[in-house]
Amino acid sequence: MSELIAIFFSMALVNNMVLGKFLGLCPFFGVSKKTSSAFSMGIAVLLVMLVASAVTWPLFHLLLVPYGFEFMRTVIFILVIASLVQIIEMSIKRTNMTLYNALGIYLPLITTNCAVLGITFINIDQQYGFAQSMVAALGAGVGFTLVLLIMSGIRERLDLADVPKVFKGAPVAFLIAGLLGLAFLAFGGMVG
Amino acid sequence: MTKQRGSAYPIVFLTLVVLLSVVSLTLIDATTHEKILAAQEAEVQEMLAALFPTLETYQFEETSGLYTILAEGAVIGQARMLQAGGYGGAIDILVGLQPDGKLRGIRIISQQETPGLGAKISEPTFLDQFVGLSASEVELSKDGGAIDAITGATISSRAVADEVRDAIRDSFQEGGDD
Amino acid sequence: MKSLIKALTNGILRANPTFILLLGLCPTLAVSTSIDNAFGMTGSVLFVLLAANVIVSLLRRWIPDRARIPTFIVIIATLVTIVDLALKAYVPALSKSLGMYVPLIVVNCIILGRAEAFASKNNVAHSIADAVGMSVGFGVAILLISFVRQVLGSGKLELFNVSVFSIPGLDSNPAAIFLLPMGAFFVIGVLLALFRWVGVSECE
Repeated sequence: MSELIAIFFSMALVNNMVLGKFLGLCPFFGVSKKTSSAFSMGIAVLLVMLVASAVTWPLFHLLLVPYGFEFMRTVIFILVIASLVQIIEMSIKRTNMTLYNALGIYLPLITTNCAVLGITFINIDQQYGFAQSMVAALGAGVGFTLVLLIMSGIRERLDLADVPKVFKGAPVAFLIAGLLGLAFLAFGGMVG
Repeated sequence: MTKQRGSAYPIVFLTLVVLLSVVSLTLIDATTHEKILAAQEAEVQEMLAALFPTLETYQFEETSGLYTILAEGAVIGQARMLQAGGYGGAIDILVGLQPDGKLRGIRIISQQETPGLGAKISEPTFLDQFVGLSASEVELSKDGGAIDAITGATISSRAVADEVRDAIRDSFQEGGDD
Repeated sequence: MKSLIKALTNGILRANPTFILLLGLCPTLAVSTSIDNAFGMTGSVLFVLLAANVIVSLLRRWIPDRARIPTFIVIIATLVTIVDLALKAYVPALSKSLGMYVPLIVVNCIILGRAEAFASKNNVAHSIADAVGMSVGFGVAILLISFVRQVLGSGKLELFNVSVFSIPGLDSNPAAIFLLPMGAFFVIGVLLALFRWVGVSECE
């Protein structure tokens, strides 16, 4: 149990997807301008990470490995993710229109989100079992959402601040991300 | 561009593409498989040779994780990979043991400690301290042993020392309890 | 011919994938700790982008519109796997250094983006020019960032284990923060601002 907790906090904070592993940067800078959209994106990513991990882990260990097809990992995983995103989008559209209006537009973008494919790779590379993979995905998604929320909060305020012209927009966002990363360094040693 | 093709066409096309992908990758994998294994072997060999320069061959036993180092037909030492829980994550350590039970030396294979502080465990000034020690001497000097911890990185230093000491005591066949 | 040159230079300056379009940042920032890595990553991206553009361009009249994106994805994923295996077999040290960021090229927006926006609509010659231009632009960007990070973060510059130069004083006490992730963010943030100041790109 303590190992699972360690994995969760490691993925969420110490080795945060965005600040520690550089995964999920495109949505990070594209969607983090408003807190409401940041939250929606974060939850959508968390959802896809969980489902993707749940599907790719058994696929890899029960199908690819026994038949010696590990090298098909990249192709299979990305196809799975692309299909999953389609399916999730369609089912949300059919069951809950309000949810769809909140999340819907972000879902297609998640296919190319390195964080989702990244976590499926990490689950394999770290040789996690199924439970550990799910916890890792949960931690990764939560960490991603957390950073996205913090970033959007800061950027909303930044819009009203007096930023030098050349820094307005993307440059200052990167600097903020750097500072956030520095702050997150404080979590180091938490899981040691 | 309107294409007058059957509605099954997209599926057929995609299936063809996937099949082509599988075929071409299987071919590439078959070509590179041997080379990749050889590269991994060479990496292990290089790693062991860092501790045992006169190494000629080695044997690896899967269940115990023990490397037996051989030169000129005789066993010149043993080695084992350890994993210690460091400050920033796992530290992979290679430990080499001499036939007389004393430490041949250690090497840090991978670590995620703080650069400039805990990361210094990979440097010779820290690692060289381990050479020739017996199990009881592998402690930080503040705990009564022979290892000077890195200034400002006691946790990283202690993690390495503890793991190495336990390994000598528990898992090597020679060595044992001095 | 002129349009070929235009397609080529487009990716280097006007529409530089990293500094202007802000695409494919994940690998750029992740592996830019040394210029060895930068070269390795650029080479990998060049191979995948070039091959993908050529294949998509050749097949563009047969690719069904509805299965467009999955087709691109499978093609790119296959090419990425080839590069990954080749690196593991022939340059294992580089492969280890680049790690999972090589397979992650498959979700690199640059490649999928060019396949969708350019190669599926243009002939092979132009697609090649576009691929080369974009790769060079990417390469320049990642080399620049890696150069800064390596020099400031370790005090010296090494190319394939051959020392090029080292700055005395800095190489024994480097600003290690630049080798950490946050260093990458700082460097690219400042570089982006620099480009705007110099007038290469426009402010927001």
